[in-house]
Amino acid sequence: MRKVTDFALAGFAAICAAFALAVLGGLVVVVAGRGASALDVSFLTGEMQRAGAAGGIFWHLVGTAILLVSAFLICTPFALGLALVERVWWPGERGRRFLRTALYTLNGLPSILFGIFGFIVLVQWCGWGKSWLIGGIVLAMCMLPTVTLALVERLRAIPARYLEAAAALGLDRAQIILAVLLPQAWGGLISGSLLGLARAAGETAPIMFTCTIFAGATWPQGIKDNPVLTLPYHIFILAQDSFDPAVGARLWGAAFVLLALVFLLSLLALPWRLRHHEEADV
Amino acid sequence: MSDPAPPVLRVRDLAVFAGEKPLLRRASFEVGEREVFGIIGPSGAGKTTLLRALNRLVELIPGLRVAGEVELRGQPIAGLEVNALRARVGMIFQQPVIFPTSIAENVLFAARRLRPLSRSERMALTEHALREAALWAEVRDRLHAPALSLSAGQQQRLCIARALAVDPEVLLMDEPTSALDPKSTHAIEELILRLKATHTIVLVTHNAAQARRVTDWLACVCIRDGVGEIVESACCATMLDSPQCREVVEYLEHTR
Repeated sequence: MRKVTDFALAGFAAICAAFALAVLGGLVVVVAGRGASALDVSFLTGEMQRAGAAGGIFWHLVGTAILLVSAFLICTPFALGLALVERVWWPGERGRRFLRTALYTLNGLPSILFGIFGFIVLVQWCGWGKSWLIGGIVLAMCMLPTVTLALVERLRAIPARYLEAAAALGLDRAQIILAVLLPQAWGGLISGSLLGLARAAGETAPIMFTCTIFAGATWPQGIKDNPVLTLPYHIFILAQDSFDPAVGARLWGAAFVLLALVFLLSLLALPWRLRHHEEADV
Repeated sequence: MSDPAPPVLRVRDLAVFAGEKPLLRRASFEVGEREVFGIIGPSGAGKTTLLRALNRLVELIPGLRVAGEVELRGQPIAGLEVNALRARVGMIFQQPVIFPTSIAENVLFAARRLRPLSRSERMALTEHALREAALWAEVRDRLHAPALSLSAGQQQRLCIARALAVDPEVLLMDEPTSALDPKSTHAIEELILRLKATHTIVLVTHNAAQARRVTDWLACVCIRDGVGEIVESACCATMLDSPQCREVVEYLEHTR
């Protein structure tokens, strides 16, 4: 009987795993198969023409990069501060658990809510109009829980003996943070940020009313009323509104580039994640 | 006639509680200048807790409370700034704690953060501390190599160098050789005997033979009625050769 259960369980797990891998693999094969034909240098370096039916996605890449870099720069200090508060200053394990639960909940929040928040507060109340900076702020909010939780996990994995040894040498709390916690936290910050960015790179809901338009934007000249072009919104509009058959290959091409970007960011995070796990095993 | 020099450490009626439960009680002893004071006793009796109370490291563990008095050169340590106290009373742990950085960085880990040091002062201090810890000859050519590449015995001497670089008056050592092979143990014991010329040392050890080799005075911590207590304190040879207290006799027989 035990053998039968074991066999059934293994079979069920194998079917689930195969199904998940098939879906993921199928997605990659379809996107790559259809998008690869559109990919060439001029597609990556050219401007969009004829509402996406011709030309390339250069300014969409630039806009996406601007949003990701600003989201990273805005998110990092807050994530670091929050993680240190959780590890160092927050009183009691119950309070810490509450904070971590709050972060996990925030992580699960639909991203359109962040978009609505950015639209009402920043676009309308603050009167910034559509602006790349609002996009950066809203994406930073989407990323914040992921990055903070990665950092918290990294800080928790630092052996207590390091903190004890540093305290025993006469270092005060600020010195221990700078000398012990922060140098060991970089891995968590980088891997968390890359994973957060991988998620943020594909987000459409938070940016569609806050920072991006379909056509006509290049380098931002200021903050207010300076939207950018972005890949996810480009794909969204082309997929939804375009009846031009010439758009098809370019739409898949843009999707392929976005997929590659997300894979690249996740892949870059891999060495830091592996290192983290190795150290945690010690 | 002038008064004799006050002891470096004076412990009076020290007790440590975990919540309301006493872990250690009625600990009283004095440690004189340039003396190696040994603490022996069975595992779990509270030797480490006692040692950690001497530089207020127990305060890092939530729920532990200390009563009684510890004086460092006549000043109650409770009234001293805690980080300044820990810089004056260094600690060597049972397992060497090496930061994942270079050998030189480990030596200067606290020293360069506690006071400004020029480049030349850093070099000089690194060499001085490593020489004092009897490690200079082995690592002088690879100061920037990862400290984790050293052997366990070398790592423990590196920890001693790191503590010495802060220039402490007292060194607390918590079974510093228990994780080491006999050769490394011998090197650390030689080092303790040499450091005694300049430092006051409190050494927790499990090893009666080691206590005989390096300590001047011994206190034995045993459990009485479920609480750790110093059951006997005497000159090293007296305690080891003719212990008075039943618990000490049993403990020494057990360790032989």
